[in-house]
Amino acid sequence: MVDWIGKYGLSPMIYLIEVGLLGFLILRGHARRLISILLYLASLLALDGIARPYVWARYGLSSREYAYFFWVSDVALTLAAFVLVCALFRRACQHLEKRMWHDVRRLLTLVFFLVLGISYLVLSQNFKNLFSQFIIEFQQNLYFTCLVLITLLYVLMQKVEPVDDELTLLVSGMGIQFAGPAASLALLRLAPEEGIARFLATYVGPLCTLGMLLIWFYAVAQTPKSIAVHGLGRKDPELAEAVAREA
Amino acid sequence: MIVASLILIISTGLFFFYFQVTCQRILRRRFERDYFLSIVNANRLEFPAVRKALEDFDAPVDYPRVRMTLKCDYLALSYLLKNAANVDQRYTREERLLMLYFRVVFFFLGLRHALKLGEKSAIINLTAILQYFANVVGKRVTTVRFGNLAASDYLLSL
Repeated sequence: MVDWIGKYGLSPMIYLIEVGLLGFLILRGHARRLISILLYLASLLALDGIARPYVWARYGLSSREYAYFFWVSDVALTLAAFVLVCALFRRACQHLEKRMWHDVRRLLTLVFFLVLGISYLVLSQNFKNLFSQFIIEFQQNLYFTCLVLITLLYVLMQKVEPVDDELTLLVSGMGIQFAGPAASLALLRLAPEEGIARFLATYVGPLCTLGMLLIWFYAVAQTPKSIAVHGLGRKDPELAEAVAREA
Repeated sequence: MIVASLILIISTGLFFFYFQVTCQRILRRRFERDYFLSIVNANRLEFPAVRKALEDFDAPVDYPRVRMTLKCDYLALSYLLKNAANVDQRYTREERLLMLYFRVVFFFLGLRHALKLGEKSAIINLTAILQYFANVVGKRVTTVRFGNLAASDYLLSL
């Protein structure tokens, strides 16, 4: 029953929510404001929703081709999430001094290229030996690096005024997305033969993705937005008139 | 092994931390008015008294009684969430998430009591969740009208 839900219930539900959230962002005019989220969702849908099922259908679930594609696309998605975290850092730094953002940007660029370089080197050296504990350890470390970055972002956000509720929810969604798989892969490394560790490693990832998507949906659809009015009276005389009337 | 153990512990801790952050953000939702009051009065719920006793008077916690009170209020409110003025007769996603959060905090309340770590913050957390549920029910009941009477007026007239 659990296997059936995992195979035929969970994944289609995730794809549906991904499509729904993408549609919602575009149709409700959030696409420009949340372009980084939109691009990440698009890459998630393209790799996880389209490419993986295609490779599965073509080569079969237990084939080497599918396994290679699964793990390499997983690394690509984690790196895409890394870029998204950088974009969220940018948004969090909006209300801080410009100099601070410059410092953060430099640091993030350095960390990103470091992670990218190490990932490339380690993967290319072990590409023939991918189906071992190596890939589990590698992905666990990559997830954990992202989780540390997300937590740093969360700490930074606590110093920023005004509080951005939407950003907090977006970040906590990502926190759940990376904390769950990092923990389950670490458990799998510690107890590779245990059934429960294998079960958790299989299902925690998709469940956390589902949780992240639902939290993002809530963040975008429910959180009231604070609107900053710049140049009142110059750009929108009708709004200025309405505000004056209310006053 | 040590690195994997550390990652397991830290990631699990952060998972629960972000889960809590999400739930706390949902609980921060502001309602136009205190809808929960009419629901508390109509159903004789006790969680506001528990909260007041802890916050205003710093009263010592009568654990078995408080636990029973919160559990009964939770059962009443979860029933009302599903059945009172709810056309779909099912919980929304955030209600499900908060119900899960309530159960997790309730479990940790028992754990904190057993370890003698102090239960006050967990109890205040639980009353905040119950207040949110009561606000949601109150808002729904106020919105749905039966003839000239709002459902809350009807409940209060019983």
